[in-house]
Amino acid sequence: MALCNVYKLSSYLTRKSIDLVGSTRAIVTSSSCLSYKLVNPKQDVPSLRNIVDTNANAVFGTELLRGLGMVVAKTFSEPATINYPFEKGPLSPRFRGEHALRRYPSGEERCIACKLCEAICPAQAITIEAEEREDGSRRTTRYDIDMTKCIFCGLCQEACPVDAIVEGPNFEYSTETHEELLYNKEKLLENGDRWETEIAANIEADYLYR
Amino acid sequence: MARLIRNACSLASAITNGYPITTKLVPAATISVRNGSKWQPNAEYINQFAKIELESPSHPVHGEVSPEAMWAPEPVKYVDMINNLDTMTVNFGPQHPAAHGVLRLILEMAGEVVIRADPHIGLLHRATEKLIEYKTYTQALPYFDRLDYVSMMINEQCFSLAVENLLGITAPPRAQWIRVFFAEQTRILNHIMGITTHALDVGAMTPFFWLMEEREKMMEFYERVSGARMHAAYVRPGGVSQDLPLGLMDDVYDWAIRFSARIDELEEMLTTNRIWRQRTVDIGIISAKQALSWGCSGVVLRGSGIKWDLRKTQPYDAYDQVEFDVPIGSRGDTYDRYLCRVEEMRQSLRIIHQCLNKMPPGEIKIDDNKLTPPSRSQMKDSMEAVIHHFKLFTEGYQVPPGATYTAVEAPKGEFGVYLVSDGTSKPYRCKIKAPGFAHLATLEHVAPGLMLPDVVALIGTLDIVFGEVDR
Amino acid sequence: MTGVVKFLHRQFVVPFSEMMKTFQHNYAQDGGYFPRIRGVLTQIARFQEIKYGDHVGTDELGNKFYENNRFFVGRNRWVDYNQETWADKWDYNASQITPEWHRWLHYMTDDPPTKVPPKQRPFLIKHKRNMTGTNDCYVPYSTTRPKIESWKPPN
Repeated sequence: MALCNVYKLSSYLTRKSIDLVGSTRAIVTSSSCLSYKLVNPKQDVPSLRNIVDTNANAVFGTELLRGLGMVVAKTFSEPATINYPFEKGPLSPRFRGEHALRRYPSGEERCIACKLCEAICPAQAITIEAEEREDGSRRTTRYDIDMTKCIFCGLCQEACPVDAIVEGPNFEYSTETHEELLYNKEKLLENGDRWETEIAANIEADYLYR
Repeated sequence: MARLIRNACSLASAITNGYPITTKLVPAATISVRNGSKWQPNAEYINQFAKIELESPSHPVHGEVSPEAMWAPEPVKYVDMINNLDTMTVNFGPQHPAAHGVLRLILEMAGEVVIRADPHIGLLHRATEKLIEYKTYTQALPYFDRLDYVSMMINEQCFSLAVENLLGITAPPRAQWIRVFFAEQTRILNHIMGITTHALDVGAMTPFFWLMEEREKMMEFYERVSGARMHAAYVRPGGVSQDLPLGLMDDVYDWAIRFSARIDELEEMLTTNRIWRQRTVDIGIISAKQALSWGCSGVVLRGSGIKWDLRKTQPYDAYDQVEFDVPIGSRGDTYDRYLCRVEEMRQSLRIIHQCLNKMPPGEIKIDDNKLTPPSRSQMKDSMEAVIHHFKLFTEGYQVPPGATYTAVEAPKGEFGVYLVSDGTSKPYRCKIKAPGFAHLATLEHVAPGLMLPDVVALIGTLDIVFGEVDR
Repeated sequence: MTGVVKFLHRQFVVPFSEMMKTFQHNYAQDGGYFPRIRGVLTQIARFQEIKYGDHVGTDELGNKFYENNRFFVGRNRWVDYNQETWADKWDYNASQITPEWHRWLHYMTDDPPTKVPPKQRPFLIKHKRNMTGTNDCYVPYSTTRPKIESWKPPN
């Protein structure tokens, strides 16, 4: 079957004589469009002035002194280092950190096991199993994310039609062992319950762009 | 065992004396072990290398003999070295901090002079191209961030342009300008990393610390627009994923008007500095002809004096609507490439200013429900939007059969994607042309004749990132 | 001239006066000189510097949040982790900030939760720091019934 596909493709390509599709990008060589800049212009003819200047610079080390002055000046400027566990850098509402499963305001879990996130995940980090609950609604029984496989591309939260799986603002979840990063549904829901105030505020802050 | 030693002796005699060997090296009938894993050279093969001599013009052929050239080390004769058993093989990397990643460089040294450099790659191979064949076009996009992981959005842009070519669509103007806007920031991001780590390898540590601060600011811009500081997954086929947040352009402007002073500081430390010049001028010269025949691109090509920039010659996105100059070097040495990179940062800043002034309003994604997912509000109201959403995130979109080679001017050179589609929603083949791969291959030709510390400067100036070399 | 005076004032007088305020305000709750000096020494040992800021609020875990806009963004908001017990004082963790203050501390908003109270939900649970390396750490388990039931040999 695959071979058949290859044959079909190759015959297609030869029929079109590999019509490289991107013909919209023409090659431009008109001189008006091309503006180039020589970074290393030719040196001046050696005049007395040039020779004296070059030698004076070489003897007195002017460029070294200028560089030194630059460094000394910089030591007096305010350092840009932030004192991390006490001070933290800016983040935006779009930040993609640790995953969380959210709930509706009533406390009902949002996830309906449509498995879009599982389908889109490029790293195949999400595993979902679903069953019918006692009240007849479809819910997940397993929602596992292997955080060590996850590449934090954000496609799962884009895919989710009910905003159930989100990538929250937390990035301080490093662990000592690998197994602690194999999140299951309980852990993800707990994350959601803990971070819901911030997640909801971030989604609200970004509503214009979603 | 005795036979092995005898074979080795005859091999050595073949190399040293250059006499043709008439006797059979390995009598095939008597061999008991197959030795299939070992490579047994035959006599003809060895004879062709018997009289090889290494041409090592450590200094330029063109022009007059510079004063430095008179003090240059004598060209090394490979044969003499082997005769005297004077060479030493050094493993440079993969843990060496100046190897810029996981480069394993095997250097054959005569004293401190390199006579053979053999780059070994593959330590970061992740089979990206093969993986992409099993992913939909949407899923393949995040892989491109991770190729050249210091110029993330430009890689995404290249893939997006390739898919758009196959689909026969163009992104709306605002998306194109946003792409250019962030591509130029990415270029600065990359050149900061390239220049300052190069300087760090050569011995100037200070500019690294100064410019990392600027890099941090640009990563914050990345984070604000996409949600991730590096691996953005922001540029998508058909546009970009989200619009610029309010206030971002103000902050980029605040940063951009200050950044040219940072470039001045960098130049104050390096450009005229005699130590920097001694370490870079006339080191690692790649002539224009060599650069062309070795497939160099980007700064390595322009540093040798060839006027070629894809943003000018085959403009993509909004590059035909912005004004900028392309820096060109003349000598093709490490110093010229450094100057080109600094000048490119200034030109990128110029483009960023134009983007800030000319950013058009409008859509940021192509208005085609079959290609780009609907917005949240549409999805909550319209059943059709939900259906499109489900189709796009499970099956993806079908791309008509065809092939395209689409290249962009990445900071390191020409980054290209050769994409073959067979009409399904997954690429049939995706070949990635990484500039660093060709540049790393030149090391074998440029490094011989240089001293060991110059090889460090050379690796720095070629601006190699192993994410894209190994793929 | 006035510029020079302003500069000198900003560089030398303001930090000094803020340092004195730190002595007077932040660590004077216990009363007496000794606790004050001890408080400042503790701050130096944990924080590596003396910084004065307005006390914006305290979260439910006892972390105090400060702001002083004399510093640039990134340094103008900071947290003084809970120091009630000896263990708290020296075993602080970056993850022990509650979500509502996390948002303010990371500059996602300018309004602290004291000004704009976050929406309360019935299901919200109390924040907990990252428990890795302790006995309370998360251990994964399956949330589904086992698919295969093993055969039990008859007695």
